[in-house]
Amino acid sequence: MQAMTSASVTSMGATVFGRAIAGMTSLALALLSFGCSRAPSADIAPAIKLYQTWELQPGDTIGDRTVLGGLGDISLDLDGNSVYAPFDGRTQVDKHRCLIFSSPDVPAYLFRLCGLNKPHLGFVSQGTALGSGDLLQFAALRKQPNGTWAIVEPAKAILERTLKKP
Amino acid sequence: MQRRKSRTHSMKYMLAGGSVVAAFGLLADPRGLLPTPAPAKTVCQEIVQSKSILSRDQLSRLLAIPERSSKVQIRQIMKEPYCQLPQVDVRSGVSARREAYPLAFDTQTWLIVLYEGDEYAGYDFSFRH
Repeated sequence: MQAMTSASVTSMGATVFGRAIAGMTSLALALLSFGCSRAPSADIAPAIKLYQTWELQPGDTIGDRTVLGGLGDISLDLDGNSVYAPFDGRTQVDKHRCLIFSSPDVPAYLFRLCGLNKPHLGFVSQGTALGSGDLLQFAALRKQPNGTWAIVEPAKAILERTLKKP
Repeated sequence: MQRRKSRTHSMKYMLAGGSVVAAFGLLADPRGLLPTPAPAKTVCQEIVQSKSILSRDQLSRLLAIPERSSKVQIRQIMKEPYCQLPQVDVRSGVSARREAYPLAFDTQTWLIVLYEGDEYAGYDFSFRH
């Protein structure tokens, strides 16, 4: 009788433990899908197809050297200083770790900022520091009817808004 | 004998509980629990037509028009905007004009249209007005 009781207790314990493991696995899977669906995708910019078919772009490599800026990028000596959000908007990174700034206040345009250390990602207010660096490569991109983005010459006013501390 | 089994069970429960806590720490994104900064708050410079709103039909017709079409083409669909936003210089040598239209089915959301000269450059949605 005692042996039977002991066996049933052991069996019950195993069942409870099995349920605990099953529950834990479900929770882990739920958290995995939750964790994976949020963080990386929100901060990574969708692929931007350029209108210009230039061969070299920032982030490309020639030999073992990295291309810092290409045609259409304005190179600015930041000297360790910060740059700031020119409007309320959103920042994401592209595949070359350049910052992509977009704003509903400026439809049809994107700004690409390469060379920033620890860039600030997410929704930002105008004047928020986006990051700092030594050499900034700034490009203004304008949306084209075929869905591509053309690199255009940015107005001085936009560069001033980006460089000047509010 | 019983005490040893009880201790084994306690260990198992501790392991299970610890694993759940560890899984939460590894997999959950705490940024989701933090308050999200407010989205863009576009400010009007001049009210043009205070009763102007954009219907679903107007919106769907606008979305079918490609960028770089003429402003006249857009205005045939959209009529007068609710307001004009301050001019901005985005591209060298060109001043951009921006107009805002609250959506009829969600007036907290505005459609912002950007023109450069007589050319339609594009649109975006600005939330929470």
